[in-house]
Amino acid sequence: MNRTHQSHILTCGNLSVGYKDKTILAGLNLAFEAGHFISLLGPNGAGKTTLLRTLSRHLEPLGGRIDVLGRSLSSLSAMELAKIMAVVLTDKVSPPLFTVFEFVALGRYPHTDFLGRLGSEDRSVVQNALTAVHAEDLAYRPFADLSDGERQKALVARALAQQPRLLLLDEPTIHLDLKHRVEVMAILRDLCRSRGITVVASLHDVDVAAKVSDRVALVKDGGLSDWGVPEAVLTGRAVAELYDFNDAEFNSHLGSIELRGDGRRGRAFVVAGMGSGALVYRMLAKRGFAIATGVLHTNDLDYYVARSLGAECTVQAPMEAINDMAMTAAAEQMEVCNVVIDCGFAVGPMNRNNVELLRVAMQKGKSVLSLRSSELEVLYHTGAKTSLVLCGDVVHLLEALDRRFPVNDFTQNLPEYSLEA
Amino acid sequence: MTTAEYILPRADSVSWRRPLVVFALLGFLTTVLMVLNIGVGSVYFSPEEIWKTIMQHQSVSTMDAIVWKIRIPRAIAAVLGGAYLAVSGLLLQVYFRNPIVGPFILGISSGATVMVSFVMLTTLTVGMTVLSPFMTTVAAFAGAYGVMLIVVAVASRVKSGVTLLIVGLMMGYLCGAVTSILTALAEKEKIKGFVLWQLGSFSGFKWSEIAVLLVCGGLVLALIYLLSKPLNAFLLGEEYAASMGVNIRRFRILILLCACALAGMITSVAGPVAFVGLAVPHMARLGFGTSDNRILIPGACLMGALVTSLCDLIARMLLSPVELPLSAITAFFGAPIVIGLLMKRRVKL
Repeated sequence: MNRTHQSHILTCGNLSVGYKDKTILAGLNLAFEAGHFISLLGPNGAGKTTLLRTLSRHLEPLGGRIDVLGRSLSSLSAMELAKIMAVVLTDKVSPPLFTVFEFVALGRYPHTDFLGRLGSEDRSVVQNALTAVHAEDLAYRPFADLSDGERQKALVARALAQQPRLLLLDEPTIHLDLKHRVEVMAILRDLCRSRGITVVASLHDVDVAAKVSDRVALVKDGGLSDWGVPEAVLTGRAVAELYDFNDAEFNSHLGSIELRGDGRRGRAFVVAGMGSGALVYRMLAKRGFAIATGVLHTNDLDYYVARSLGAECTVQAPMEAINDMAMTAAAEQMEVCNVVIDCGFAVGPMNRNNVELLRVAMQKGKSVLSLRSSELEVLYHTGAKTSLVLCGDVVHLLEALDRRFPVNDFTQNLPEYSLEA
Repeated sequence: MTTAEYILPRADSVSWRRPLVVFALLGFLTTVLMVLNIGVGSVYFSPEEIWKTIMQHQSVSTMDAIVWKIRIPRAIAAVLGGAYLAVSGLLLQVYFRNPIVGPFILGISSGATVMVSFVMLTTLTVGMTVLSPFMTTVAAFAGAYGVMLIVVAVASRVKSGVTLLIVGLMMGYLCGAVTSILTALAEKEKIKGFVLWQLGSFSGFKWSEIAVLLVCGGLVLALIYLLSKPLNAFLLGEEYAASMGVNIRRFRILILLCACALAGMITSVAGPVAFVGLAVPHMARLGFGTSDNRILIPGACLMGALVTSLCDLIARMLLSPVELPLSAITAFFGAPIVIGLLMKRRVKL
């Protein structure tokens, strides 16, 4: 027996999965280390569920091998496997007339006698499982009355009652509201950290997966497109390829997905810095503006957001004052923009030139929308004040933008709707 | 049961109280009905006379014959029939996770019927006059098991319970088609006997048959009780059951074999008795307030015994001396109960 497999709870060697005459994934080589949180990511229909169902032995592998704790999966008896591995599936189960406690207690199956009677140890394990998922208060509620989130917690508790070393979950957060989504993920992470249970879950949220997982497997186009630590694997490009993003980007630094706009309404030049622009960029992208921005330091939050949104960025290295080269480049960018937005950034020695940039804009007669609320605050003085609009906050900025760049009235294209009929 | 009772730390002792009370009540009522079934009939005897006959079973009087050869076997048959059909239905409902399943939906009764129709409507068995009293029984048994074997054979190939259910339904239609063709071709005189058999009845059970039913059925019931743990796991569906350590392939063949054995045994002697297998498991679930098969298996036995005893009593006595078809009475009982339960959505599987 291969000794190197000992620290691995589950390994796949050249595994092919799928249904009778249709291979869905092939050539999978994976090794799950004990106590790790492993996420399977990939677009719908890529084969995440098929892979999970094969690992849990609901499906026969089409080729290759699966070893659990160094033993071939197919050689384990149902009972042996049940003591090692538990599953949470997407099937809707609603056994009638069961309390949550009784439901969770069904998970004691591999540990109880031939009639399934619960001993005091079984009871405490069940209680413990309920505590682990913060569901003690649900214990005597009828299972059928639970909400989706509560039900998911009960399902995880049932799996825990099996006292498994490996927990497989298919889309554990699907259909859940935000509160329960966060709660379930936190519970799963705690199971890894404090109980040493290996969790393998197929997930939809890349951002959550990146933050929780120890390893991620990217599943696409009939195979494993990447496998490793999320910090290395989940780059913006890898995620964009995985999900065929055209107008969105995953930013691994921010851990979030930015949605790009179509840029049809006009081109805005944003003068920002020190986080003042992040929200403005998102708002502009959402409202269909193309964005150019500058001059940003490359360690600025604004830079990460702007880049993910596909903005034209003029940049300066961190800790350096904005130099003439950057100023020229920014001025050129600004030239082709329809509107200039001042995000109201704080001014210091390193970004003083951004104020200069605004002055240039006004001299050239560009309309400047500023988020500052008083003219005193505008530290620049120019002869062409008419082009400056003080917006004060994002709401007013939006109104000013809408006045200048009217939204296409799509209702004109809709068929006539008459009330007379 | 109030919420306060639920939250008691020793929830176990509380949850056992209700089943025990229901068990006692059902046992008592079933006993009362058995006594009534023996005591009441188209010929009147006083209770003392019956008591005497039962105690001193030696005489060769008509009364002795009526009590010992007709009423007692019939009362016992009703009890066994109800119990076996109810447990059979319970198993199938858990297995298919479908509340409208009973032994009859899977084609078991249609299989029995088609074989019996061969015996009763055609001249295939003309040469075997010696066997004729047993022929219907043997044929029904063969038919029930024939269909069951096909269903089990399909079960080992098909994964989905719903597909299997549809296979069972289609088998039922096929058997029904053959039966109706045979009926169309049969001689008039033969049809009446066949139609009567099809109505189902617990009359005419012999002691030898009852002994076989008791021994074989008892063994099957014991086996089923031992399966109550995997049956409970099965309430979560096949995939969860498998992940908890149930050997699915072996288990599902066992379940189907047991369900068919129980239903086949009764059908072969009593003819098709409708609705008991379908409705009683629901009544038991509601009565005992649980889905735990460790309670429901004996529970459905008692509930089934009670229901068929009552239905048989009504069938015999309502328009006495004319005996009403048993299946009509069970349907009058069963159909509204099933509809009511489903409308209330308390019992969904």
